Amino acid sequence: MRRLLLILGNDVRRHLKAPWAIVIFMIIPIAMTGLIGIIFAPRTEGNELPPIPVLLVDNDKGLASKLLVSSFDVDQMKKMFQVTVTDEADGRARMGKGKASAMVVIPNGFTLDLLDAKPVTLLVVKNPSEQFLPDVVEEFMNTMAVMLSGAVQAFSDEVKGIRAMLDLELDTIPWETLGPEFGKAQKKVVAASKYLNPLLIGLKEEETKAAGARPQVTAAHLFAAVLPGMAVMFLLFIVQTLMRDLLSDREDGKLRRMMTTPLRPLELIGARIAGGWVMGLAVLLVMVAFGTLVFRVGWGPFGYFLLLAVVAAFWTAAFFALFHALVRNRNQAGALGAPIILAFSLFGGSMLAPEMMPKAFRAVGVVTPNRWFIDGAALIRDGRFPLASLIVLLVSGLILLALAVPALRRRVSV
Amino acid sequence: MLEIKNLTKSYGDVLALDRFSLGLKKGEVLGLLGPNGAGKTTLISILAGTLRDFTGTVSFDGRNLFADRSLKNRIGIVPQDMAFYDELNAMDNLLFWGGLYDVPRADLKRRAAEILELVELAGRAKEPVKNFSGGMKRRLNTAIGLLHKPDLLLLDEPTVGIDVQAKVSILEIIRGVGAAGTAVIFTTHQLAEVETTCSRIAIMDHGRILAQGTLDELVRIVGERDIVEITGEFPAASFSEALRAIAGERIELLSVADNLASLAVGATEEIPRIMDRLFQRKLAVTDLKIKTPGLETVFLKLTGRSLRD
Repeated sequence: MRRLLLILGNDVRRHLKAPWAIVIFMIIPIAMTGLIGIIFAPRTEGNELPPIPVLLVDNDKGLASKLLVSSFDVDQMKKMFQVTVTDEADGRARMGKGKASAMVVIPNGFTLDLLDAKPVTLLVVKNPSEQFLPDVVEEFMNTMAVMLSGAVQAFSDEVKGIRAMLDLELDTIPWETLGPEFGKAQKKVVAASKYLNPLLIGLKEEETKAAGARPQVTAAHLFAAVLPGMAVMFLLFIVQTLMRDLLSDREDGKLRRMMTTPLRPLELIGARIAGGWVMGLAVLLVMVAFGTLVFRVGWGPFGYFLLLAVVAAFWTAAFFALFHALVRNRNQAGALGAPIILAFSLFGGSMLAPEMMPKAFRAVGVVTPNRWFIDGAALIRDGRFPLASLIVLLVSGLILLALAVPALRRRVSV
Repeated sequence: MLEIKNLTKSYGDVLALDRFSLGLKKGEVLGLLGPNGAGKTTLISILAGTLRDFTGTVSFDGRNLFADRSLKNRIGIVPQDMAFYDELNAMDNLLFWGGLYDVPRADLKRRAAEILELVELAGRAKEPVKNFSGGMKRRLNTAIGLLHKPDLLLLDEPTVGIDVQAKVSILEIIRGVGAAGTAVIFTTHQLAEVETTCSRIAIMDHGRILAQGTLDELVRIVGERDIVEITGEFPAASFSEALRAIAGERIELLSVADNLASLAVGATEEIPRIMDRLFQRKLAVTDLKIKTPGLETVFLKLTGRSLRD
């Protein structure tokens, strides 16, 4: 173990003394991400978003649901949302074709349940092919839910009166009593916002399985989508460069000299794989930090992302351990390594978003680390745990390691 | 200290070591001379533990050298390759390579400083090795092999490709190490290096030792004879044929190539006989040198070829 750490420390020190290869491999993805963001992000006048197409389904057609629907009808909202009121079947059909960013479904009985102070749920169906706009709709509906919930709680007495009147025939409503009720309500409006919990209206999120992507993203969100793919591509390049020592030491006679010392082959192999893993992870995290600071990329829960980065760096180190055990020399490693990494990146989604690829490409992409890292990063951005990505990368990484160690042992035992 | 018995190693059909046997005592500096392909590097590689699939035994202080990994702590290797990291400085290289042996960290730092003094690199200890000259790199290569104070030091052509000053410095280090009690095996092509540095010389070819002993003992193999080197314009076969009739105890053909031949003669009086014979056969002679016998003569006699072959 002491010798393993000695070699690991020495490798880190050597690469820090001559860091340019790594620095360049770190700068390229960041620069490419910046360029892609600048070139491909939509530019509307004043940098404002175009109106977001929203489908609104009112299954309730009650007082509260109409209030909610009419909230989209004010001028400010019209600038933000292009609302189409429809029924649920038509709405789902349109979402299936990717015709809107989101569909909001107000359930039947919404008004009465709300006035009875029962929890109710609004359904927001999001278009998964769009990365940002459905979230805007969701946020808006969240705000509306908070406001309506707060209003119902703050005006509970008045709401009881209104609720009772809803059961009456129109000509039997005691109109003279409504004035004082609304007068009392007005006084409560100011302080209402402080007492909004618990919410009566919840939101249920759903994504359609829609085809027909219509990416509409800003530069900041394009960075978030592009940078993980770029980062994993250049992680592959960097780890390949770092682990080339396995070959160069052999060709330069340093491996032979190491084997004249009490060093065991397994200690050397372990040090080299651990070195690729640790240094790859460090470089990946530097790229992530840079993306956060410069491009304001939000990665989601950091713990999840760190776990994904650790597993991705492990996979990469295990892969290149096996790769360097199989190739003959540095020249062959250089000639084969770059095409393999580029193929991984092309099929895995580092160069082109998977939803923009032909089906065959997407199928091939499943065997690449890029795809699993990118998918995992996207899930983490949504606050979800990337279980599938972690399992696939970890298990396949362990298999690669199990193949690499005996193969490398044969190469190291001079 | 070191006992090699019947060491045999082949690469396919080529026999690199053929029942090679050798003993070495503490403090002895053995120069191993041989032409290319004689088996010197194969021997060093086996002793260093980097070559397998051989037969024979090697014991070190009575223990099987290859059965006990800890014995590697007692052996120092100076390979022909400059095996260190160019991007690191000399001190960092020493600490890394020395660290692979079981030397305590504190001792290692002190020892590294001492060894840098010894190889005259103390003033350049913190400079990246890539800035060093070839001679300085050779000295560092040697220093790495000495760092852990080995009892047996193996040097594979440690003076190849360096200037005279660096060569003298390395040879002095080898002499000093031997004087301090380390057993040394040192392979080279340079006869003069062996003559001035080694307490014992072994001449090997085709994987076997042809002769070994001190310089005086080896020279006695040629006998109390002068060496005549003849240059001219003659085919090797014609020269051999011409001398066949007069060759005997007093005139011995040591080696012959086209236009160059070496002979050992019992007395200078034999030289006119040789010249007459060559004249009769119309073989032109352009130069003739008379030398006292040395290691080169011994080498020629034993191997039939010069070290440059």
